Amino acid sequence: MSKPREIFLAILVVLIFFIFTRGTGFSQVSPTAPKEIILGAALPLTGGQSREGGYVNKAYAMALKEINDAGGIMVKAYGKKIPIKLIIYDDKSDNTTSVQLYEKLVTEDKVNALLGGYGTPLITAHTIVAEKYRVPYVNGGGATGAIYQRGMKYIFCIISSIEKLSFTLMDWMAIQQNAGKLKKPLRIGLMGENTSHGKEFRQGVLDKSKAAPDRFNVVMDEPFELNLKDADPLLQKVKAANADAFLADARLADYVTIHRRYTEMGQYHSIVSYGPRGPEKAARDALGPASDYIVSCNWWNKDVPTQAAKVFADKYQKTYNEPAEWFAATAYETFRVMAKAIEDAGTLDKTKIRDAIAKMDMRNSLVVGGRVWFEPNGQINNDHLMMQNMPGGKVALIYPKDVATAEPIVPIPKK
Amino acid sequence: MGDITIDISALIVSAILLAGLYATMSYGLALIYGVMKIVNLAHAGVMMWGAYGAFILIARLGANPFLAPLLIVPAFFIFGVFLQRYVVRRVMGAPPISSLLLLFGIWLIMQNISYLVFTGDTKAITTKYTLLTFQVSGISISVNRLVVFIVGILALVALRQFLGRTYMGKAIRATAQDSDASKLVGINTARIMEIAFGIGIALAGLAGSLMALIFAFDPDFGRSHLLKGFCIVVLGGLESMIGVALGALVLALAEALSVLWLMPALQDFVSFALLVIVLVVMPGGMKELLSKFIKN
Repeated sequence: MSKPREIFLAILVVLIFFIFTRGTGFSQVSPTAPKEIILGAALPLTGGQSREGGYVNKAYAMALKEINDAGGIMVKAYGKKIPIKLIIYDDKSDNTTSVQLYEKLVTEDKVNALLGGYGTPLITAHTIVAEKYRVPYVNGGGATGAIYQRGMKYIFCIISSIEKLSFTLMDWMAIQQNAGKLKKPLRIGLMGENTSHGKEFRQGVLDKSKAAPDRFNVVMDEPFELNLKDADPLLQKVKAANADAFLADARLADYVTIHRRYTEMGQYHSIVSYGPRGPEKAARDALGPASDYIVSCNWWNKDVPTQAAKVFADKYQKTYNEPAEWFAATAYETFRVMAKAIEDAGTLDKTKIRDAIAKMDMRNSLVVGGRVWFEPNGQINNDHLMMQNMPGGKVALIYPKDVATAEPIVPIPKK
Repeated sequence: MGDITIDISALIVSAILLAGLYATMSYGLALIYGVMKIVNLAHAGVMMWGAYGAFILIARLGANPFLAPLLIVPAFFIFGVFLQRYVVRRVMGAPPISSLLLLFGIWLIMQNISYLVFTGDTKAITTKYTLLTFQVSGISISVNRLVVFIVGILALVALRQFLGRTYMGKAIRATAQDSDASKLVGINTARIMEIAFGIGIALAGLAGSLMALIFAFDPDFGRSHLLKGFCIVVLGGLESMIGVALGALVLALAEALSVLWLMPALQDFVSFALLVIVLVVMPGGMKELLSKFIKN
């Protein structure tokens, strides 16, 4: 072969090589896709929060199967779908154990991203790990706003704060006042568990009252210790305050203790609310008709009449033969948010995933309002769902109007 | 916020009823400490199992809520005897830390078994007597709480009769006073300790089954009640049942009336402050105070 011809052929080969390797970074070796994307979480599968942790675990498993059955998450950097491997540890509802396990997930298991569990104390503790190692973290079970006011950049939450919960309750009561169903100003007897959850609830009510003194007047405000043994002194104060509305923030066991005693004492208020507590089956069984007409604020309910909520509720029921509670719904959506963020980022680079979460605008979500987007502090700011216990063990959705299934009964009928 | 005028008579009545519950949950602690000089940290776990026992009997099997404790007492007595014979006895004579750790471990085991069997779901017992009340001079009295109070009184009377008038009871008191001397006079102290421990566990189970009629519970139930029980036993004078009953009354009244000046959230603070004051000023508790009063 003549020399010019050789040179021509060589140039042609080089050109062809460039054309076919364009966009794959010719100057570097093409990235090898990992076998799987590793997500991790430490959940309270035993211990005090095991009930809620169980729901979260099931929801994550359901979301995992759904995504992996479709081939996994599309990661543009590798040009293919990659399945997810989910590592779950049991933190036994213990803060120290939770922190240790999240450290393990990051340093030993080398997760690409982290998911959260349930419960303010646990989440407050272990989110420090995610921030320290700059691993993106999303949870659907730690609503207390204080968690997201620590200047952390890698921590996200798809449920609105307790402060927002109390605002929703107060705004709803204002609507009832406008409709002439509640008096103005409304005297409020307020109490809350002596935790960040309860403090945030009380502060939200106090702030709204200060902002609208013509509407609300808090005549009693008391914290109480968890696991209340004697609710009488507290309820005597509520009775003596002569309030129109009784608002409390309490865990399930305390809600039952307090409301049983409230009923035994023959107390009455136009509105009774225990914050997010109200429709739980255990409480309704324990309290019977005494729990009728209690209003509650929550993050999801199986009867929300949106397509996304219905699809999830039906699928959960079919998969686990039990109705979904809100912990499961928000956990499922947490998983989907993380999956979407990885897809949007197009890479497994943790900072890019974090950025993708921060600027996410996910529609047709099952969260109230149907949209997932995050405030600069990393927490969502959607409205809460309000429910009212109805006679016969039923629960009606009463707010927002677009998902309401019944008109609220206000004031509570006197017996 | 304006001034609030609380109905003090209602507070006092409520405190008296609560004292019955407090006393019932403390007798077992006092008895076991009195005889064996060990602090039964498993007491909380036993109360929790008493609550679940009541749940099974009443909610699952439909037993009468006020008769269910009668089934629980003998069952827990037998459990207590076996626990002492095959487990606790092995640390008798060892440093106190051994029995503390052993009983703490037993509590954790009981808790974890409960999580496995019942999960962490909060449970509550609802009967036709739940929320049933009657009025006395405008004060609403819960039937459940009144029954618990009456059982507390009956338990005290029964204990006093047993410890004061039966051979076994006198043998228990003798062993509590001086174990070695009791052996010398022919008392089988090992057997006495089994029986005393069994009675203590039975009383804890009884307390748990009664508390389950009032409170919701889960496997963590009993923890805060155990601390309260310690306060009451110290207040009462560690080895005196009458002292325990009086200590329970004093504590319940102090907690209830403290809300006139303090936040209700500080009720537990009141309990522990009283504990510290009594330990410093009057280590013998109510029993010592009563003895001084009677002498004078």
